[in-house]
Amino acid sequence: MGEITGEHKQFGETMLLGGLSSLAVASHELKSPLALIRQLALALESDLVPESEKKRLLRQISLTSEKALRLTGDLTKSVRLPEALFNLEPINPYQLCQDVIKEIDPLFRANERKVTLKSKRKHLLLVANRDLLRRVILNFSDNALNYADDKTDIEINIDTYNRGKTVRLGVRDYGPAVPCDVFAKLEDKLSKVSSSSIYARPQSSGLGLYIVSQFAEAMNGKIGVTRHRDGATFFIDLQSSRQLSLL
Amino acid sequence: MKKTKILIIEDDKWLADYYKMVLQKSGYKATVSLNAIEAMDLIDKNAPDAIILDVLLSGSTAFALMHELMSYEDTAKIPIILCTNLANEFDVDKLKPYGVRRILDKSTMMPDDLVASIRSVLM
Repeated sequence: MGEITGEHKQFGETMLLGGLSSLAVASHELKSPLALIRQLALALESDLVPESEKKRLLRQISLTSEKALRLTGDLTKSVRLPEALFNLEPINPYQLCQDVIKEIDPLFRANERKVTLKSKRKHLLLVANRDLLRRVILNFSDNALNYADDKTDIEINIDTYNRGKTVRLGVRDYGPAVPCDVFAKLEDKLSKVSSSSIYARPQSSGLGLYIVSQFAEAMNGKIGVTRHRDGATFFIDLQSSRQLSLL
Repeated sequence: MKKTKILIIEDDKWLADYYKMVLQKSGYKATVSLNAIEAMDLIDKNAPDAIILDVLLSGSTAFALMHELMSYEDTAKIPIILCTNLANEFDVDKLKPYGVRRILDKSTMMPDDLVASIRSVLM
């Protein structure tokens, strides 16, 4: 057995996703769900799976496919952002979050988890594009499901800041804390919104966060993260709608 | 007869359950860990005969875990099979100092490949 030298350590760490092109990162992100779908399909083809388990595996295949399609949809939207005009309108955040929860509930149930909506007060409308905002919350929720500890639920929170001028939609997970050094880099990158990797957890490519940061920018908003001892809240801040105040 | 113990360290629960099903069908005693910290506890407790390890894990990378295993004489001997979507990025010879004996590509491997790899590293 050879000695593990500093060179070996460096080799190991740089083999992770740092330094890969955006296309390579997107390819990797899609590879994971596709590899899982393939393995589950192979299992169903063989005599590995008892009859009682087949329905569960088929459900896993369809839910994983939906997740992969969400990613491809987000990638397509992201590429078209510069040319397309995205309609901004007053949106009820509570209603939108309820719709997202309905959409994502089957995936969470299959993982024996729940997503709940928490809101402290009556809601102001916010100004956003419905589809882009839906994608942001779905993205945060998918990530929260990946990184949250087993058996913990995910919370979607709605709050207002800045004397009612800003509405914040946050997705809270209860999982490993974002390491300090990563958090510092993440805060810095989120404030600049660059095309370089914005990874939040060591195993994440950051592609999802980069895409949602673009969506947020298209809606004159911004994304951010709050680090907790037992997890993180990823949020999007958007302008509240002044429409009602004109009445 | 005592069953060979395999520890699966994979943060995708559905994939981990699939590996467990494959290994149990072949007569192995398989345990799943979804993260590196829990995995270290399980390694201390159960002393697995081999480890199936995903590279990108929640909370900690596989390399951090491998460093930890290499730093103790007993755990340094446990053969590791990397199971990853990044298989093309790695060279098994360069990873031998980390205890890695085989690398499987998640996107192309067949169910039999997992069992064949375990048999080959435990020979």
